Amino acid sequence: MEFSFIETLENIWVTSGFANITWQQLLMIAISGILIYLAIVKGFEPLLLLPIAFGMLLTNLPLAELMLEEADGKTGGLLYYLYLGVKKGIYPSLIFLGIGAMTDFGPLIARPSSLFLGAAAQLGIYVAFLIATALGFTPQEAASIGIIGGADGPTAIYLTTKLAPHLLGAIAIAAYSYMALIPMIQPPIMRLLTTKKERETKMEQLREVSKLEKIMFPIVVTILCVLLLPSVAPLIGMLMLGNLFRESGVVERLSQTAQNALINIVTIFLGVTVGATAKAEQFLSPATLKIIGLGLLAFCFSTVGGVLFGKLMYWITGGKVNPLIGSAGVSAVPMAARVSQVEGQKANPSNFLLMHAMGPNVAGVIGSAVAAGFLLAMFGG
Amino acid sequence: MTIGQSLLVSVFGMAVVFAVLVALCLLISLFSKIVTAFGKKKAEAPQAAAVQAAPAASQDTGFTGGQLKLYDVDEKTAAIIMAIVSHESQIPLSELQFKSIKALD
Repeated sequence: MEFSFIETLENIWVTSGFANITWQQLLMIAISGILIYLAIVKGFEPLLLLPIAFGMLLTNLPLAELMLEEADGKTGGLLYYLYLGVKKGIYPSLIFLGIGAMTDFGPLIARPSSLFLGAAAQLGIYVAFLIATALGFTPQEAASIGIIGGADGPTAIYLTTKLAPHLLGAIAIAAYSYMALIPMIQPPIMRLLTTKKERETKMEQLREVSKLEKIMFPIVVTILCVLLLPSVAPLIGMLMLGNLFRESGVVERLSQTAQNALINIVTIFLGVTVGATAKAEQFLSPATLKIIGLGLLAFCFSTVGGVLFGKLMYWITGGKVNPLIGSAGVSAVPMAARVSQVEGQKANPSNFLLMHAMGPNVAGVIGSAVAAGFLLAMFGG
Repeated sequence: MTIGQSLLVSVFGMAVVFAVLVALCLLISLFSKIVTAFGKKKAEAPQAAAVQAAPAASQDTGFTGGQLKLYDVDEKTAAIIMAIVSHESQIPLSELQFKSIKALD
């Protein structure tokens, strides 16, 4: 056997990623680097942004073929198999199971009118849908872009995998980035749409909610929502199952697993594989820029919808409802509720809106799931 | 899809979200009222029982501090002893609890 040092080096070079990398892939690696920076240094939704960014990095390394589909008896890439959980809608539903186990719906049960705010704050979904169709996106793509306005990552991922999977990377990144930017996006809109007097409004303490009510809630919500919109069953069903685990008090181990180990494991798989869909050839297109712009618009209009309905409730109740809690109707839990609290305290330091804002906040989770169910029923084929 | 159609879908979609959440709001309010009413009835029942039991107890003894065992002491002497202890200790008789009074040899 003849050995040539130069030839061997040449072979290594030719078969390496260095020789095969394109400028688009380099750009994507740089973008993933920026997202990793934002997650670690700026703390932008790190639990999801970090795995998404790393998935993006992995998928854009040439020849690694981690997302290679299984074909002709040839084994697929690791991330391809993990991605099946996203493609089949398994991970978002399991994330909802964990969210349900973590969520206290008490403030919503204590003041059911919070649900109106959760509904009004879905306005951005439909405004973005309308503009996206005007910009030439297909109805399926427009619906997937619009759902960014629901400010609910798992719901956005769930709907996009069903309607426009080729846009998943851009939509997931836009959704999670804007969720992290809620403390910057919402306050100017909240201040613009409310008067100082409205922001200063102190709200009455919420009544105590009995255990029986808390147990009945997930059962009632599941029956009503799934009967009305069967397409929403995977999301609402899992959300409410998790909540029933929590409130029943008899399956503490299951509740703990759902809200800790399970949700953490699924978050890793979901994040990495969603990031891995952001391949250079798909991600670097004018459509991505449009999606990012429309996503921001959707977030803003959802905030507008919530705050304006909050003002309406302020007027109807004779000044008993602080309109600032309306912005928490976008479902980013608990970030949006915290923003209401901070803005309320800026206007009146003795104001404590957090628990009042948690009602619309958790109502927003249900609202965005219902909106997704509607869009799925309309365009899911 | 035309703009008109997408506008129609948007309006209808928003209406559906509102309709579902309004229905949910009504349902939650309804079962909260039922649960509260049921809870009130349950709370009232033991309270009424307690109120009825209390006069019966006061009619018997006024107050009770448990059972007192007397060993080689008659009731009259025991009553005098308890009164003296109460007077000396400055503690009302109703707050004292005697378990037994025993005569020493």
